[in-house]
Amino acid sequence: MKVLIVSLYHPELVRGGAQQIAFELFEGLKQKPGVEPYLLASADQNSPALFKSGARITGFDGRPNEFLFLSQEYDYGWEKGGNLLLVEAFKEFLELIQPDVVHFHHFLTLGIDLLTLTRRVLPEVKIVFTAHEFLSICPANGHMVRRTDASLCTRASAVRCHQCLPERPPEHYFMREMWMKRHLDAVDVFTTPSRFMIEHYVAWGLDESKFVHVTNGLLPRATPLPAASKGERRNRFGFFAQLVDAKGLHVLLEAVTLLRAGGFTDFAVEINGDNIHFATPKRREEIEAFLAAEEKLPLAERIVVLNGSYHHDQLRARMARVDWVVVPSVWWEIFCLVISEAWSYGRPVIASNAGGPAERVSDGVDGLLFELGDARALADTMYRACTEEGLWETLAEGITPPPSRAEMVEGFLQVYAADRVVKCLAAV
Amino acid sequence: MTKAPASRLEQAAPPQSPEAPILVFDEEMYLRLNPDVLVAVAAGKFSSGRDHYERFGRAEGRLIAAPGVPPCGRVILTAQPDQVAEQPRPPVGTIDAIRISPAGGIYIVGWVNDTQDRLDRIDLFFPGWSVSFDGASLGRIRRPDAETAMGIATPHAYGFWGFLYTARRLSGGSCNAVLRMKSGAERSLMLTAETAEDQEMRNIALGQLAQAQYVGNPYFAATASVDAAIGAQLVDFNQMLTRRAVNAPYVERFGRRAASYKGSIIVCLYGKPEYLFLQQALFSRHPAMRDYEFIYVSNSPEMAETLLKEAKRCSLIYGLDLTLVLLNANAGFGAANNVAAQYASSPRLIIMNPDVFPCDQDWAAKHSAVLEELPGRQTQIFGVPLYYDDGSLMHAGMYFEVDTVPGLTPGRKPETSILRVEHYGKGAPPETARFLRSRQVPAVTGAFISVASDWFETLGGFTEDYIFGHYEDADLCLKSLEAGRAPWLHDVRLWHLEGKGSVRGPVHEGGSAVNRWLFTKTWGELVLGELLGQEPTHPALRAAAEEEELA
Repeated sequence: MKVLIVSLYHPELVRGGAQQIAFELFEGLKQKPGVEPYLLASADQNSPALFKSGARITGFDGRPNEFLFLSQEYDYGWEKGGNLLLVEAFKEFLELIQPDVVHFHHFLTLGIDLLTLTRRVLPEVKIVFTAHEFLSICPANGHMVRRTDASLCTRASAVRCHQCLPERPPEHYFMREMWMKRHLDAVDVFTTPSRFMIEHYVAWGLDESKFVHVTNGLLPRATPLPAASKGERRNRFGFFAQLVDAKGLHVLLEAVTLLRAGGFTDFAVEINGDNIHFATPKRREEIEAFLAAEEKLPLAERIVVLNGSYHHDQLRARMARVDWVVVPSVWWEIFCLVISEAWSYGRPVIASNAGGPAERVSDGVDGLLFELGDARALADTMYRACTEEGLWETLAEGITPPPSRAEMVEGFLQVYAADRVVKCLAAV
Repeated sequence: MTKAPASRLEQAAPPQSPEAPILVFDEEMYLRLNPDVLVAVAAGKFSSGRDHYERFGRAEGRLIAAPGVPPCGRVILTAQPDQVAEQPRPPVGTIDAIRISPAGGIYIVGWVNDTQDRLDRIDLFFPGWSVSFDGASLGRIRRPDAETAMGIATPHAYGFWGFLYTARRLSGGSCNAVLRMKSGAERSLMLTAETAEDQEMRNIALGQLAQAQYVGNPYFAATASVDAAIGAQLVDFNQMLTRRAVNAPYVERFGRRAASYKGSIIVCLYGKPEYLFLQQALFSRHPAMRDYEFIYVSNSPEMAETLLKEAKRCSLIYGLDLTLVLLNANAGFGAANNVAAQYASSPRLIIMNPDVFPCDQDWAAKHSAVLEELPGRQTQIFGVPLYYDDGSLMHAGMYFEVDTVPGLTPGRKPETSILRVEHYGKGAPPETARFLRSRQVPAVTGAFISVASDWFETLGGFTEDYIFGHYEDADLCLKSLEAGRAPWLHDVRLWHLEGKGSVRGPVHEGGSAVNRWLFTKTWGELVLGELLGQEPTHPALRAAAEEEELA
């Protein structure tokens, strides 16, 4: 069975959860007898040196079966590739590889209309689409967070989307939905790494029978570490994420402020991550002001430390410095690989009570949940984490190993093997 | 009796004989002292100031030389008041600009205070040619700047603008312009006429029409202002531009080339290329679409490259048969569709807006069924229910209303009437049966018209007199109705994102004002007689209603 995995970026070039999972799957499939996987990962102006003159699809760094789709002129408004030559190249690539399964892990930088093209070029191929967020439903970065009041969105509509993005009229979002669904119509099976996502897609109008939950899985690379704190209190908290609004660092910093104002200062927070330039100016200003003020304090009075970005190889060392991992995301947070990483190192997670974290973390069993976006609730939870004797140990014991790559690969192989639903309306 | 000191007037008394030299006559000073004479000389009524003096000035006792250094703050009489003939006073006003276009369009704009003495005409004298605008032919508009300058608080149409299409190549440059009033008074001005490209000229005139300030409701005032002459001139000028725009289009076919189709869907694009790929994506979902071809005709030459790429891309991804007709300029809706119809390979034309999409995936099959199952007279020309994106009904046929405002200005038309096109069921719940049943209607929207190709040809296609687009659909339907076939409405549902498929600016509003005037002028009598309201009494519609009842 030939499986073509189409990925947004290659994790070697641009880090990110969706591409990491696509690559892990590709690596896992290579181990399976009878499966011949191919990886087609997009590259854009993040990797200008890899663009070869006149080429649209090329190999990648001498790696067998790995290819780059050299994205150009992408139309973010319609999620559509602008370059006709790329469409022709993709068509030719499909005809050359002749896959049995084409597994899209995204359409960003590629074009949602490549789904329909795939069906037209290979009418019998099985098309699998893994949703890593809600970009087909939500034009506001696929987050389904309302820009009007930062609340979580549960229903997209022409008028509601226009309220979030008023630069276009409601009719545009009406069109966008028809456009997206037209192309998603080519998909045989949708998979999502979290179950709650299926509800959103079905509420949006997609066929529930086409959805399968397949967890994200990673190769086990770690073993549980002892607690970082040496005293009685388990009072070291770690934040591991990009410093963008959706990850909710501001909620964590507000919680620190509240605890400090209440006279509780016997704890530490370590921030691991970067890309603050992708945060909104308001949040960036808040975060930078907080960190600047923190730095002015005498060392003994500092609570928050910014460690900056980290390579995967440094993860163990960063995890070793904390007892807890805090996931204060203010969006749906689809799966949250950081939870898997925290669990790998035996760190209980304190997370917002929505989306993937709420689905994965069992409150009081392997971690703690708090009300999304509520800094006071997070402050109370952190205080409890620091002061409740034996809590950390209980929760650390409650952690089950995160899903492995093998589990994920097995899940997808079952999807590939299932009979394809014959479509009533064949593409012309 | 002591003789009073002789005045300069007396000292300068001319000799009795005309041959005798006037030793102290000062031509320049005479004209300065007598501005009315200056105007009369400029207008050619007198060969010189002295000519005037000989014939009238002497008798009137006018000064012929400077009265020394005049004391400040005192009136100096330069002639005997009762002797001076009543001279028409030159009007207060000016011409702001004159534009000439290569094909012979002339545009003029300015203002004049003619509340007491009406503007009669404006003469323009160019080197080698001249032209006159009849005062009644001008559009009259407000000029708040002039009102302010004159210290007049009451709004009044001091402004004027005019447009003439002379259909001959004219040179611009220096121009002696004369504002002539009914009384004979006049003001002469020296101006330089700038040139403007023909399309720019159309835009200038239509922009003026749309953006000017009017005394009264602009909807009526703008339309009324073109009635006397500007409307007809603009229509002629626009026809010339249309002929140019449709000349030698670039045509490329994509996909198969079947010998014939069940229908040819003609879509006129303007300003928004994305609707090509959106329609192709959404119409291609059903196999019945293989029986149809698309013909896209573009009124936006700047989109040519994008459209060619998109058409090729769509051909690869969706596989529908598609012809692209690229015009070199905006020919307007009617002419563009007429050109596109020439490339159709089917006995059925479907005129469709770019922002129309299928509600039901089997739309094409339903349309084909209507053609196959219903009597030919019911399908010769028909429309369909169209829906807004919010799910409510947008269109279920069109009918006509009239708007009238009384004219309260003495000497002007007693009233202005403009026909208005309305849609049955606009905003109604989606399943309102009375709007959805098959029936005859006075007209259907150009967003979707299904018409037999031969009938379209018999009707002469769309009338090309309308500027840009508006009213051609109603006009086509009324032509059909007059020829004995009122359009039908059949229940094949489509979305219509009304007004989203093309760009619209002030020039289009100006075009609409002209089109309102033209449509009312063309069809006013018929509509006001038998086609007004939601239940018109025109025999063609009545006969069908009776037939329906019998059935």
